[in-house]
Amino acid sequence: MGRKVFGGFSQAVLAVWALLIIAPLIWTLLASFKSNGEIFGDALQLPGELRWDNWARAWERASIGRYLLNTAIVVFFGVAGTMLLSSMAAYVLARFKFPGNRLIYFLFVSGMAFPVFLALVPLFFVVDGLGLLNTHVGLILVYIAYSLPFTVFFLTSFFRGLPDAVAEAAMIDGASYTRTFFQVMLPMAKPAMVSLTIFNVLGQWNQYLLPLVLLPGDKSNWVITQGIADISTIAGYEADWPALFAALSMTVLPVVVAYIVFQRHIQSGLTSGAVK
Amino acid sequence: MASIVLNGVDKIYAGGVKAVDGLNLEIRDGEFMVLVGPSGCGKSTALRMIAGLEDISGGEIVIGDRVVNHLPPKDRDIAMVFQNYALYPHMTVEENLAFGLKLRKMPKAEIAKRVNDAAKMLGLEQYLKRKPAALSGGQRQRVAMGRAIVREPQAFLMDEPLSNLDAKLRVSMRASLNQLHERLGVTTVYVTHDQVEAMTLGHRVCVLRDGLLQQVDTPQNLFDNPVNLFVAGFMGSPSMNFTYAELVRDGSGAAVAFAGYKLPVPDATFTEKPGLDRYIGKKTILGIRPSDFEDASAANGNAAGWARIPVRANVTEELGSEINVLFTIDAPPVEHKDTVAAQNDGDEEETATLPLAGDKSLWTARVNARSHVRPGQNVELVVDTHNLHFFDVDSGLAIGHEANVGR
Repeated sequence: MGRKVFGGFSQAVLAVWALLIIAPLIWTLLASFKSNGEIFGDALQLPGELRWDNWARAWERASIGRYLLNTAIVVFFGVAGTMLLSSMAAYVLARFKFPGNRLIYFLFVSGMAFPVFLALVPLFFVVDGLGLLNTHVGLILVYIAYSLPFTVFFLTSFFRGLPDAVAEAAMIDGASYTRTFFQVMLPMAKPAMVSLTIFNVLGQWNQYLLPLVLLPGDKSNWVITQGIADISTIAGYEADWPALFAALSMTVLPVVVAYIVFQRHIQSGLTSGAVK
Repeated sequence: MASIVLNGVDKIYAGGVKAVDGLNLEIRDGEFMVLVGPSGCGKSTALRMIAGLEDISGGEIVIGDRVVNHLPPKDRDIAMVFQNYALYPHMTVEENLAFGLKLRKMPKAEIAKRVNDAAKMLGLEQYLKRKPAALSGGQRQRVAMGRAIVREPQAFLMDEPLSNLDAKLRVSMRASLNQLHERLGVTTVYVTHDQVEAMTLGHRVCVLRDGLLQQVDTPQNLFDNPVNLFVAGFMGSPSMNFTYAELVRDGSGAAVAFAGYKLPVPDATFTEKPGLDRYIGKKTILGIRPSDFEDASAANGNAAGWARIPVRANVTEELGSEINVLFTIDAPPVEHKDTVAAQNDGDEEETATLPLAGDKSLWTARVNARSHVRPGQNVELVVDTHNLHFFDVDSGLAIGHEANVGR
C-alpha cells in the first residue's frame, strides 16, 4: 500500500525533474533549426523548416570540429591516465600493508576536499614552470591529478571488497604481482572501472575553469568549453543565435550519446558503491 | 610428489599472538593428511605457511628435498583449493584451468590435453566454455579441484574446500575426493573443522589446538586412544562422556566408581595403560564413548560381561538406525579447560548446551534403534568396560597413553 502511494508520488517528482532537465535540451536542439525571428517568437513554436545551414555555419566559422577533436584527445589521455594510475594506486592501498599506507590514502582523500579554485594560481605557475602552458600535455597532467582523489577513493573501497583468495590463487598459479593485478584483479573490478571511466569522461569533458587558465593562448588548442564560451560572445555581437544553439547541440550530443550507451553501467556503479 | 616436513614451525602475528607454536609434522609422500581443530586453532595458518601465503616466524618447512621458507608460492610447486573456490570470475572454466599452465609457458597442445583430462575426470566437459557465475556450487568446487589437478603439483593443499556446499553434496564430494586421491596419489594436506570429514578422508589426522599439536595418528587410533581430554572430546560425535571418578580395588577386582555407579575395570585395561594402577584410590576423569553403551534389552546377550547401569532417559534423538539417549548422572559436570575447549567450536562466547541438567552431567548413549526407548522411561544400559578412558585430573592427559608415559 504505502509502497504504491510512495511509488506514484516519486514517479511524479521524477517526471517533473526529467522535464526540467530535458526541456531546455530539446528547446536548444529545436532552436538550432530556427531562424533568429523564430527564436524570439513563440517559445513553443516548432522551427518552420530544418535549417541545416545553421549547423554548417557553426561548424565552419566557430571551428567546433577542431575544438571537439582537441577535447577528445585531452579527455581520452586524461581519463586513460587517470584510470591506469588510480587503479594501480588504489589496488596497492587496498591490499598491501606497509608503513605510510594510511597516510597516502588520506592524502588522496583530502584532495577531494580541496577546491580546484584555490589551487589555480599556483597551478598556473607550476604548469608554466614546466613549460607546459598552452599545451595539451599540461592540461592532461592536471586533469589526471585533479581526477585522482575521487577515483582512488572509490576504487580503494572496491578493491577492498574483492576476495583475497582469488589473488592468492593467482599467486599460487604462478602469476607475478603485476600479472595478478592486470589479468585477475583488474578484470574483477570492471564494474567500478567502467562507471568511474564514465564519471571522469563527463567530468573532464565539461571542465571549463582549468582549460581557461592553462590554455589561454592559441585558439587552435582550445577545448570545446572554451569554444562555446567564445561562440556565445561572438554570437552576441553578430546576433547569430541559431548558430550558437547549433554549436551547443553539437557539443552536448556526444555526451548524451555516451550517457545513453553506458547508462546501465552508471546505474550499477552508483549502487555498487552503496551496497558494498 | 613429495613429502612435506614442518620442523618447529612458528607463526607469531603482530601483537605477539602465537597462531602456530613449534609445529612438528611429517606428511609422507602420497599421504592424505588432515589438519583439524576448532576455529582459531592455527590449522589454516599452518596450511597457508606451507603454501607460502604467510611468512614463517620460526622453524623450517621442507617440501620434497627443498627448504621452502623463503620461496614464493609459485616456486613451491603446490596447488591450493580455497574454501570459497577463488575462481577467476571473468574467465571461462577452460581458461580457469589453463591459467596456471599458460603462466608456466607450457606448450598449447599439452595444456589442452591436461585441461581435457581433468575436465573428463571431474565431469566438467560440457561446462568448459561457461563462466563460474553460470555454475552451481558443486560445479565451481570441481573447477577449483580441476585447477589444482591440471598443475600436477608436488602436493595439494585444501582449505576447508567442502564447507560451502550443502550437506548432501558435501558427502558425495567427500567420496569423490577420496577416489581422486586414490587415483592421483598426490600428497595432500587438508584443513577442516569438521571431525567427520577428518575421520573419513585422512590417512592420518593431526589435531591442533591453540596452535599446539595435540596428536597425529590414524583416525581409528585417534578415536580409540586419544592422547588427552581435548582430543577425546573433539573427535567423535556425539562426543565422549566425562565424569570425575575414583579407581578402587577390592576383593572382586578393580572398579571405577562414579555417581553411585561402579563399573568393573578389566585386568587387560591395566596392562594396556601402564601406570593406571598408580591411580588406584585416587580421583581420575573417566571417559566413555556414547557408542560403547547399548540398551540391555536390545543387546540380545551380545553384552556378556558388560557392566549394567540403570538410567532414566531425559531426551531421545531417533536417527533411524540408532537412538541417542541423553540422560543425567548424579555427578557434577567435568569442567576441565580441555573439555570446554573441545565443545566450544571456536569463537562462540556462550556455552552450547542449555543449563537443563543443573549441576549434573548430561551423558549420551548411542543405542540400537530396536531399543524403542522413550523420554522419561527407565532403561538399563550396558557398558563395554574394555573401552574405558582414564584421564589425569590435573593435566588432562590420557593415563597410560604411549605418548604420555613419563610426562
